[in-house]
Amino acid sequence: MKRHAVLWSLIVLAVAMLAPFVIVVLNALKTPAQYASDGPLALPTDITFQGLADFWNRVDFGQKLFNSLVISGSVAVLAVVVSVLNAYALGIGRIRGRLWILIAFLVANTLPQEAMVYPLYFLAKETGLYDTQLSVIIIFTIIQAAFGTYLLTSTYAEFPHELIEAARIDGANKWQVLVRIVVPVSRPTLGVLFVFSFIWTWNEFFLPLVLLISNDTQTVPVALGVLQGQRLMDATMTSASALLGVIPAIVFFLIFQRTLTRGITAGAVK
Amino acid sequence: MITRTIRERGSYLLFLIPGALLLIAVVLVPFLMNVGISFTRWQGVGDPQWTGLDNYTRLFGDSTFWSSFRHNLALVVAMAILPTAAGLVIAAALFDVIGKRFGPRAASVLRACVYLPQVLPVAVAGIVWSWILAPRGALNEFLGLVGLGSLGQNWLGDPDVALWSVMGVLLWIQLGYPVVIFMAGLQRADPSLHEAAELDGASWWGRFWHVTVPQIRPEVFVVLLTCTIAALKVFGPIYVLTRGGPGGATNVPSYFSFQNFFEKTQVGYGAAIATVLTVLILVLTAVFLKVQNRGERA
Amino acid sequence: MTGIWGRSGRVLVITLAAALAIAGCGSGSGDGGPRTLKLWHYEGPDSAMGIAWAEAIKQFESAHPGVKVAFEEKGFEQIQKTAPMVLNSKDAPDVLEYNKGNATAGLLSRQGLLTDLSEEVTKRGWDKQLGQGIQTTARYDERGVMGAGKWFGVPNYAEYVMAFYNKDMFAQQGIAVPTTIDELTAAMDKFVAAGITPLAVGGAEYPAHQIMYQLALSKANKDWVDRYQRYTGTVDFHDQAWTYGATTFADWVKKGYVSKDSAGVKAEDMGVSFMQGKNPIMITGTWWYGRLAAGIKNFQWGSFLWPGLTAGSAGNMWVVPQGSKNKDLAYDFIATTMSPQIQDKLRDAGGVPLADSGSPAASPQIKELTENFKTLSAQDRLAFYPDWPAPGYYDVQVSAVQKLITGTATPQQVLDELAKPYQENLANVGK
Repeated sequence: MKRHAVLWSLIVLAVAMLAPFVIVVLNALKTPAQYASDGPLALPTDITFQGLADFWNRVDFGQKLFNSLVISGSVAVLAVVVSVLNAYALGIGRIRGRLWILIAFLVANTLPQEAMVYPLYFLAKETGLYDTQLSVIIIFTIIQAAFGTYLLTSTYAEFPHELIEAARIDGANKWQVLVRIVVPVSRPTLGVLFVFSFIWTWNEFFLPLVLLISNDTQTVPVALGVLQGQRLMDATMTSASALLGVIPAIVFFLIFQRTLTRGITAGAVK
Repeated sequence: MITRTIRERGSYLLFLIPGALLLIAVVLVPFLMNVGISFTRWQGVGDPQWTGLDNYTRLFGDSTFWSSFRHNLALVVAMAILPTAAGLVIAAALFDVIGKRFGPRAASVLRACVYLPQVLPVAVAGIVWSWILAPRGALNEFLGLVGLGSLGQNWLGDPDVALWSVMGVLLWIQLGYPVVIFMAGLQRADPSLHEAAELDGASWWGRFWHVTVPQIRPEVFVVLLTCTIAALKVFGPIYVLTRGGPGGATNVPSYFSFQNFFEKTQVGYGAAIATVLTVLILVLTAVFLKVQNRGERA
Repeated sequence: MTGIWGRSGRVLVITLAAALAIAGCGSGSGDGGPRTLKLWHYEGPDSAMGIAWAEAIKQFESAHPGVKVAFEEKGFEQIQKTAPMVLNSKDAPDVLEYNKGNATAGLLSRQGLLTDLSEEVTKRGWDKQLGQGIQTTARYDERGVMGAGKWFGVPNYAEYVMAFYNKDMFAQQGIAVPTTIDELTAAMDKFVAAGITPLAVGGAEYPAHQIMYQLALSKANKDWVDRYQRYTGTVDFHDQAWTYGATTFADWVKKGYVSKDSAGVKAEDMGVSFMQGKNPIMITGTWWYGRLAAGIKNFQWGSFLWPGLTAGSAGNMWVVPQGSKNKDLAYDFIATTMSPQIQDKLRDAGGVPLADSGSPAASPQIKELTENFKTLSAQDRLAFYPDWPAPGYYDVQVSAVQKLITGTATPQQVLDELAKPYQENLANVGK
């Protein structure tokens, strides 16, 4: 049964992808004493959540989750908006020099983050945005929008022109064409962009580490960094809090899977 | 018709304004500042000292930097070529076979499983994989259990094997990204072409190669380029898994640049490395985009 | 067709605007009226320092009514990477824990970002409390080199490298506690003969290169250390000490004392392997003490001193940023941490205190830890750490010693590798 063979091989793949997560979960539930005596790969014998509760209070994890949510959510929305605007001009408007403009946008993705740190620190300080979340939001909006611009420009370049022509003939202007035709039709790609921007920003560590100094502005990955000491680390705590930090990203992904799922059904039913 | 479109093109520029403003302020200005720093000697604090092209002369003679590019090429395979190819097959399988015969729910669940590694912070992924790849870690134990114990290696500690191990971890991390993009792209695709090919008696593989893949051509290009850029810039997993070791066996230019910026506090030199790396990647990007463009409608 | 301005779109836009408004505010800094001492450190709350300093905060607040201590726990990495940037901004704290060494405190002192504490130190008598070797990391000259000059930091505790050992496994093999390197070698031979790898080593991080340094130190003297760490004279990486260190380490790998697999093992996994009883000896520092005390339940364990010079130094220290507005409070807080009660609290929680109040230690093992340090300090046997002399030297040391473990380079080649960045840095010192 060929299709069952396909199903089983995909299940094996899924298990392989999940195996490391299972190990993280095992260590998240262990007590540090058992981790010390049995090592990281043993099954937990006594499940404990006390350590997790302690850590939550220690770094005010609730606040960090909120901060991460505000930053990642804002970036996701803004990055999609900026990408759509850019891609509309480049992919559908097909303005002159669009290749070079696209390359200019992609500089945002090619420049290594460590090279941006000192200049961005300086600019943030000069504009009074140092140690604010707004600085991080602005920066990541353009970084994620660079990818988004490239992805959407590539898909918009093959956008069915008949739909646009039809709307123009009906008297729609450029803005109306964008909002009424282009955006709805490209919704699956926009959904993907939204999810990616959210998750990538959520997991960003380095620039928030540098730009968010006070504890009440920090995000989840920066808070997790507290557990990595100079010479010692807290493995069970890191596993537990990493899971806590990952849950919102997973929830986000699952919610947006529904937009993508609708497409799969459409494909099946024609 | 033609004159109308030319006149219109000017006003499309308005749509670029928000993006352009952000780009200049957040990316282009810092990039130019970085280039400026690369002509100085600076320790990150205090006043930079102008040194002209010294950093660049030093960089071009620095064998560590150029040999680390070789490792990057291996990682391009692991982070771009393999995930794109495997991603295509998996996405098509999930969309066509699973989605249609076992329901969209099954396809969604499997896709979520494949994507999950992308959600885990790199630092945590690094810790877990170092447990798995340790000399007495999960992988060697598992191999022993299934009777393949002789294949056990010192995955992260043997300089001959370390790069392969890192490639494996990177593949694990990257695979979900193409799968999700390709599946979204497949929804744009016109199912009637597929049905027609099926009715014509084409095999699944034939349909895949001649109907499915061309329809998501833009996504394939985007994934290939972005994964290649990511591979050339890769830093996080190297940092957490091997720190460029053992003995420099997994060193990459981006890690080398980071070391100069923050650990050796030779910010000017680090800036020169970053500039050269960026320019190389941009050249590659320009070539790639030209190729991608050629296939599009004029 | 509602398009993007539909209801959900509007809700999204309003939420976004609100979020951006919140995001535009930096961290609130409530001010006026009661004074606040902004304090940062990066020691975990369960560590010896964390416990002692939490107590210090309480005592400070009760001794200074009307003053609130605004404590923020940071991550080590954040302070390491961002300290120069933070201290240069208006968000700098009033007092913070910072790393000692030329590349960290030395660099910042040279740039004028740290307050000169010399006057306070003499006024409060801290220079009497801290031994010569301890003072070295607290004082920096105009080039930013440690050893002499103005005081820029005040340490509270010390660290040193010694050997932890599994008493049960030693008893099984009938081995007595070694007091010389020869005795240690003989003990390790016995373990190898019994099929046990004697040393737990983390080749992917600091432990391996610290062991090599220990070996080199056994053939070195204080002058050698000063030349290496404080640039007081020429350093020859092929002299007797370095050659002994590298060749003996390679020898240890060949004889099976150090497992060939350890090149990829992290420090954390080294510790876990010792705590599980897999390896009987772990040569590393006192910072592991608390972890071992809490984690080892299945066997008896102890520690023994490394003969002669050993890696070690004062611990991280308190520094006062130049921009601090509450310097007097900062000095008072530092004084609290140096008080006998707090030093005792630090000691009994498993740290190595600098001041001796004379009160009895909480357990025999803690007593041993503290007494050993007093011996080291009195005999001036602390030799700092091998990766200190040059910024970024840590990665070079790790990489070089990894090659010794995997056998991909000879000891002579490894020493050449260590020499190059050291000499390059030497040319740039103070510039």
